[in-house]
Amino acid sequence: MDRRSMLSRVFKPHPYSPGVAKFTNAVLRTQDNKEVRFYDDLIKGKQCVINMMYAECHGACPLVTTVLKRTYRDLKDRMGKDLFFYSISVKPQDDTPAALKHYAKMRNADLPGWYFLTGDAYDIETIRFRLFNMGHPGIDLDFAMHSGTFRIINDATNYWGHAGAFASQKNIMDRIAWADPYKSPAEWDVYARNLKAAIDKDVKKYGYRRDV
Amino acid sequence: MPKKKAKSRQRIEKKTEGTISRRSVLKIGAAAGAATVLAPNIIKSGKAFGAAFTDPPPPLVQCTAAVRSPVHTPFVDDLPVPFPAIDHPLSPPPQEVANTGAGEWPRANHQRWAQFTPAHVTTELEARPGLHRFHSDFGDSYIWGFNGVYPGPMILNRYGKPTIVRFRNSTPPNGDNTFGHPEITIHLHNGHHGSESDGFAGDFFPSGRWKDNLYPNCYAGLDQFGGNGDSREKMGTFWYHDHRAEKTLNNNVMGLNGMFIVYDPTDPGHEHPSAGSLRLPGYYGVTDFPLILTEKRFCALDAQGRNEMVNAAGGDKWIVNGAIQPNLKVRNRKYRFRILSTGPTTAQWDLKLIGPNGTSASETMTVVATDANFLEHPVPVDDGANAANSNAVVGATIVTPGAIRVNVAERYDVIIDFSKYAVGSFLYLGDFGAGRSQNVNDTGSGNTNPPGLPPGLNIGNVIMRFEVLNKETWFPADTPDIPTTLCTMPDPIVPDTTFEWNFNRDPAGSVPRLFRINNRVFDANVPQHCIIKGTSEEWFIDNNDQVGTNWAHPVHIHFEEFRIIERWAIVNGVFQQVPVPILYQGRKDVTKVEPGEAARIRMRFRDYTGKYLIHCHNMGHEDAFMMVAWHIVPDAAAKAVCDSLIVKANEEFEAKLRGEEV
Repeated sequence: MDRRSMLSRVFKPHPYSPGVAKFTNAVLRTQDNKEVRFYDDLIKGKQCVINMMYAECHGACPLVTTVLKRTYRDLKDRMGKDLFFYSISVKPQDDTPAALKHYAKMRNADLPGWYFLTGDAYDIETIRFRLFNMGHPGIDLDFAMHSGTFRIINDATNYWGHAGAFASQKNIMDRIAWADPYKSPAEWDVYARNLKAAIDKDVKKYGYRRDV
Repeated sequence: MPKKKAKSRQRIEKKTEGTISRRSVLKIGAAAGAATVLAPNIIKSGKAFGAAFTDPPPPLVQCTAAVRSPVHTPFVDDLPVPFPAIDHPLSPPPQEVANTGAGEWPRANHQRWAQFTPAHVTTELEARPGLHRFHSDFGDSYIWGFNGVYPGPMILNRYGKPTIVRFRNSTPPNGDNTFGHPEITIHLHNGHHGSESDGFAGDFFPSGRWKDNLYPNCYAGLDQFGGNGDSREKMGTFWYHDHRAEKTLNNNVMGLNGMFIVYDPTDPGHEHPSAGSLRLPGYYGVTDFPLILTEKRFCALDAQGRNEMVNAAGGDKWIVNGAIQPNLKVRNRKYRFRILSTGPTTAQWDLKLIGPNGTSASETMTVVATDANFLEHPVPVDDGANAANSNAVVGATIVTPGAIRVNVAERYDVIIDFSKYAVGSFLYLGDFGAGRSQNVNDTGSGNTNPPGLPPGLNIGNVIMRFEVLNKETWFPADTPDIPTTLCTMPDPIVPDTTFEWNFNRDPAGSVPRLFRINNRVFDANVPQHCIIKGTSEEWFIDNNDQVGTNWAHPVHIHFEEFRIIERWAIVNGVFQQVPVPILYQGRKDVTKVEPGEAARIRMRFRDYTGKYLIHCHNMGHEDAFMMVAWHIVPDAAAKAVCDSLIVKANEEFEAKLRGEEV
């Protein structure tokens, strides 16, 4: 398969993805000061995990970054290929690309497929609302509200999911997998075989299906 | 539909705007695009003759734009009655061990297989796309339904006759341009059965696969009482629905739910004087009707001649059994209605019956069962002498006197006696909760009160209408008076231990701020509580959200029915015990806790082991994490191992909060 067809396969959006209308196509900057368009370059046809943070945050953000780094390690083979992490600054006025680069480097998180993003404050506020709003002004107006949540999106299947950063690591992996591209029947066969083996093992060990 | 046709269609609409009725627009649409508009009907009739089923064309777009649904004419459609599922043999036959080779999704072996098989009854429900017309003024809407219909087929079962329902997932593998997600797991709410048949939220299976759920139709207490269990644990009105983690709301809005009734000698599904029968109105679809409530929003008629459902939690049309403001012709005798709210989210129905004179002072609905369980004594509710029997309670205050409040997933079986009304009169079932009339097709959306509506009644409050007819000689004679005692309650539950569940959204200063239970989000693999099979517990279910946050949680517990022992609420700034409304004094499986309120419940855990759930049944909340698993384990040794899982998960949680890489 040539590169072009691979790309078109992997990054094909779902026909009824809400697209730019929902995600916006705001121009953001990465930690490498590269301009990217939010929908076209980051979301379209891709599976991604998104969190809101800021560099000077001493509360949840560094903890969440650590969790993402751990998650990155487990998903290394997919990162930057069909899976991406986006950490979006909620204090873009302070977080220049250089500041984010510094933040990422300091935490060994300056990795392929993981973008730290800054941009216009209005644009980012819009994106935060579009991705995380709970329809409750008391919550939605407080930018700290979603610091512990990952938004998991797969634009190829139009899947919106989420994960709690402090849940078990297996739970986070599960939730990212729940948003995976649709499997082919052959892939489901393999999945089912593995699941069956795991259930049998579990029942033998604990007397009931417990861990899978 | 080709673009060209769509365009010509738009032109027609534009041209005829303001000069032609919606109905005739629909007809023009059918002529303009006959192939696409008519095809589904042909397919439907083809199916009736056994032809292969073809999925209807998917929606043209994901419909999100509707501000208000199109207007409709009230009371022109009859109340639909879900067709009963037909028992039939399954091929391949069900088996104890998952038949993965033939396409069954992996599961643990059926528990108590030898005891409950060979199953007396088997049937199949296939989740697949279909078209459903919610109102005759509308075009069809694309749905996912069991056997392609909404609501799903009615399952009519009998205690002592176990059933295996084969749930087949034939939803389109790519989601078909809808907001549904083509992976399902079906929960029978609130069946007493093995975890492998419970539709655990993490056990969903993909399109193209199937799974057999074994519903033993036994009474709880098999080990304790032998035989088919403790007959005092009888339940009647169940419902089944998709429970896919994160997508329960979407898949239920798509239409994946239905009702499930289990009869027993006290409630046999007929009105003859058989041994032990309470002789309540009991002929399904004749004198005993489900009223499955939900709310939906619809887009304008599209180029495919359809009014697609909007992917929205709330709605501006109230739906009963899949119809908007339907009419039900009743004879002047007693009827039973099994009211169920399928939500999906914040909807709570404060139901009153309005008489021909526009009041509900003596328009009594007599509640005989709450959440599938008979009350010890029937409870009349009306706006007159029985106004205080209302369960629309916040704290210690009745907010809607004279109403039956139906929260998401709750069921209320009520008897209405139409014999006291003149033939030809109309009665109305309405929702009179604060602010609720704003929601629907009231005057603000272009609908006005139809002629004949009693004075003081706003069409926006009306869910459906009853039209009283004279009872023909061939129609079943009226049933005797409702017995004053309907059942004997099971022995009081003596708890072996206590446990507390805290439901909250946003305690100040905490991270992360999510919908959580006991500070945890839904984790399919980690229990938050382990229980030894055969024991009983007292649980304190506490909504820690502050008063005024509006985060009310209808809490549902799988597996067995519980009793509410106490209610607590903040009254005058003090957290104190408040009365349990009479409608909450029976056996229940849902208890709503308003912000700052709590309930103390007692429950038994018998006969089966495995993973079960406690969750908020606001489907938006449960999808947003407010659900946790608890396990029933075989013995004390297994409990120790199960508890160590919780300890391990807690350590991981703490380590993450310390910033360690785990």
